[in-house]
Amino acid sequence: MEEVLDTEFRGRRGRLFWMALRFSILNVLTLGLYRFWMKTRLRRYYWSSVRPGGLPLEYTGRPLEKLLGFLIAVTFLAFYIGLVNLVLMFLSLSLLNHDYGAYAISFVGVIPFIFYAAYRRRRYMMARTRWRGLRFGLAPGAWGYAWRAIGHWLLTILTAGLLWPRMTFWLEKYRTDRTHYGNLRLEQTGRWTMLFPAIVPLILGLLFCAAVIVVSIWQEERQVMTGLVLGLPWLVYGLAHYRTVTFRRLTEAKTAGAIGFRAAPRPWRVFRIYMLGTTLIVLAVLAFFSLLGLVLAAFFAGNLDELGVIAELPERLRGLPTWAKAVLALVVYFNAFVFWDVLTHVFLTFPLWRHFAETLQVTGAPALAAVRQRPRDAAQEAEGFAEALDVGAAI
Amino acid sequence: MTAVLRVGAKPEPFRGAGVLLDGTSPVPRPVSLAIDEDGPALILSRPDASDERWPLAALRQLRDQADREEMVLRTAEDDDARLVVREAESRRILAARAPALHRRPPVTGTRRLILWGAAAILSVAAIIWYLVPLMADQLAEYLPPEGERVLGERTLEQIRGALDETGFGLLRLCDDPAGDRALAALTARLTDEAALPYDVTARVLDLDMVNALALPGGIVVLFRGLIEAAETPEEVAAVLAHELGHVAARDPTRMALRTAGSVGVLGLLLGDFAGGTVVLFLTERLIRAEYSRAAEAGADAYAHGLLAEAGLRPSALADMFDRLRAEQAGDGAEPPGFLRHFASHPALGDRIAAARTADAALSGPSRAALAAEDWRALRSICQ
Repeated sequence: MEEVLDTEFRGRRGRLFWMALRFSILNVLTLGLYRFWMKTRLRRYYWSSVRPGGLPLEYTGRPLEKLLGFLIAVTFLAFYIGLVNLVLMFLSLSLLNHDYGAYAISFVGVIPFIFYAAYRRRRYMMARTRWRGLRFGLAPGAWGYAWRAIGHWLLTILTAGLLWPRMTFWLEKYRTDRTHYGNLRLEQTGRWTMLFPAIVPLILGLLFCAAVIVVSIWQEERQVMTGLVLGLPWLVYGLAHYRTVTFRRLTEAKTAGAIGFRAAPRPWRVFRIYMLGTTLIVLAVLAFFSLLGLVLAAFFAGNLDELGVIAELPERLRGLPTWAKAVLALVVYFNAFVFWDVLTHVFLTFPLWRHFAETLQVTGAPALAAVRQRPRDAAQEAEGFAEALDVGAAI
Repeated sequence: MTAVLRVGAKPEPFRGAGVLLDGTSPVPRPVSLAIDEDGPALILSRPDASDERWPLAALRQLRDQADREEMVLRTAEDDDARLVVREAESRRILAARAPALHRRPPVTGTRRLILWGAAAILSVAAIIWYLVPLMADQLAEYLPPEGERVLGERTLEQIRGALDETGFGLLRLCDDPAGDRALAALTARLTDEAALPYDVTARVLDLDMVNALALPGGIVVLFRGLIEAAETPEEVAAVLAHELGHVAARDPTRMALRTAGSVGVLGLLLGDFAGGTVVLFLTERLIRAEYSRAAEAGADAYAHGLLAEAGLRPSALADMFDRLRAEQAGDGAEPPGFLRHFASHPALGDRIAAARTADAALSGPSRAALAAEDWRALRSICQ
C-alpha cells in the first residue's frame, strides 16, 4: 500500500440539486415526515462522494431508525418542554412580571440537551460510517460532553471570546479521543495554544468594526459607517479563517497509531464559497420570486402581453378571497423554504465538502493493514434528540 | 470488419474484475469475477485465498452513490463485506444478471417502531390536551394581575404582528383621542359595577374584520369592522360586555398559558421543516379552537348582568346577531369572523333568545350607551 493516500471527490452538483429538490418537495408534501429519508439519502450521496485512497466512504444509516430515535426523543422531551415551559412562564410572569425571563430560562434549560444531542448525533453518524468495509465508532460520553461544553462556553463568554480556541481544542479532543476506526483509536495531540493564531483575523475584524462604529458615533460622521462595507466581509473572512485553520491544525495533530493526516484547506477559498454561495442563493431566490410574479401576472391578465398588470398585482392579490390568499401564502412560503434548502446544499454544503475532502491526505497508510473490524453499535436512539431539538442543520 | 461467429451451446463465459473489502480488514483485495451458472452465483477468486460464492439473487447494490462509474455490491445476508466493481463491462453484465440488485433491505423492528410511535403520540396528546390545560387552569388562578397584564400585552403584540398585512410591522391600534375617550367612557360605564382585579383597557385594531377578543390582564380588543357593523352604541356595549365576561372568568389567561405550554411541544414535532413559525401558528390556531361552550355561556350570562346593571338592553347583542345572520344568508358569503366566533358553539338561536329574555332584568327604561357625538367619535376612531 502507498505511504500517502490522497482523497478524491466525485460528487456532481447537478445530481445533488435534483436529489435535494425532489426530497424537499416530498418532505413538504408529507408534512416533514420524509425528512428521515431525505437525510439518509443525501448523506449516502455526500459520504460516497468522498474517497480517501480511491475508495468511497459509506453511510449505512437507515431512515426508520431515525424515525424511531425521533419518536423516543419526542416521548421524553414533550413532557420536559411542555411542562417546564409552562411552569417557567408562570414563574417568570408572577415573580418578574415579565415573560422574557421565561424564554431565557427555558432556553438555558434546553442547553445541556443540545450538547447532549450533538454528541449523540455524532455517535450515531460515526457508527453508521464505513470506509473500506470497516466501521467508525464513537464511545459513549454524551453527558460528559455536555458538561464540558457548558463549562467551556461559560469561559469563552467570560473572556469575550479569547478562550474560544481553547474550547475548540478541548471539545475536539474529547470527541477525537473517543473515536475509533475499526479497532484503532484516534488521538488528538497538540496544545490548545496552537489554535490561537487562527482567531487573530476575527479579533482584528471585530476591533475594526468596533472602531468604525465608535468613530462614526463620536465624530458624528455618517460616512465613516461605510467602513462596515469592508468590516463585515472581514468578519466573514475571520470566521472562514478560524474554521479552516483550526480544522487544518487539529487534523494534522490527530494520530491513530502510525497513521496521520495532512489537511490543506485554504481560508480564502472557504471565504469565497461563503460569499459567492450566499450571493447565488439570494439571487436565485429573487429570480424565483420574479418568475412567480410573472406567472401570477399572466394568470390575472390571461396572457403576458399586458405586463402592465404587474404594477396592479398587489391590488389584485388583496382582492382575492381569504382562502386563496392563505393557499398562495403557503405555496410561496414552502417554495421559499424548499428553495433555500436545496440551494444551500448546492452552493454551500457541496463546495465546502469538496474543498475539505480534496485537501485531505492520510499518511502512514501501510499501518492500516493491521486494523480490524469493530462490533456494531446499535445506537437505538439514533439522532432523535438532535432531530427534535434541531441540532446540526447542514446535513 | 470481422464477424465473430460463436460456435457451441454456451456464450463466452463472464470474466470480470473487482475489489473485495472483506469487512474484517481494510486492505482491498483484487478479485477476479466469474459466474457459476449452477446456482447461479458470482465467484470471487483470489490467488491467496479460497473462492467466495455470492449468489446472484442475493447481490445488492448500494443506493445513492456519487460515482456512477462504479458499483458497490453487498450480499443480502452479510452486511460487512463489499465488492467494488469499476469495469464497465462487468457492471453491465452484473446489472443484467443479478435479479434483485435494487431490492430494499427488509424492514426490521416494526413492533418497536409502532410501540414508540404510540408512546410519542400518547405523550404529546397527554401534554397538549390534558396536562397543559389542567396546569394552565390551575396556574391561571394564582397569576398576579401584573403578570397577567404583561402576558396580555405580549399576546396583543403577537396578534398585531400576525394580522399585519405586510408581515413585518405591527397592525395599527386606532388612537383618535375623541374616539378613545368615548370607548373609555363606555368601558368605564360597564366596569364600574363589575369587580375586576385589574383596570380594563379597550383598544380598537385597524382591521376590516367583524370580531372582538379578550386578552389576559383585562385587555379587550375590538376590530374596526365590528364597530362599523354595529348600528347602535348599545350593540358595541353588548359585545364589550361579553368580552368582559371572559376577562372576569380569566378565560384568556388560561388560553395564553395553554399556548405557552403547547407551542414548544409542537415545535419539537415539526422540527426544522418549514422553519416552524407559520406551521406552528396555523397548528396552534387549530388546537386552541375556541372557548368551551360553558365559558361562552358564562360570558353571556355575565354580560347580561353587567348590561342590565348599567341600564343597557342585553338584547342589543341579539339584534346584532340577527342582522349579521340575515346579511350572511342574503349574500351567501362565508360567515364573518365575529359571527363564527359566537357561533362556534352551537345554539346561536338559544343565545339570541337568552339575550332577549335577559331584557326582563332591566329595571326601568334603557338609556343610550353613548351620546350621539361620542358615538360619532367612536365610529371614526381609526381615521
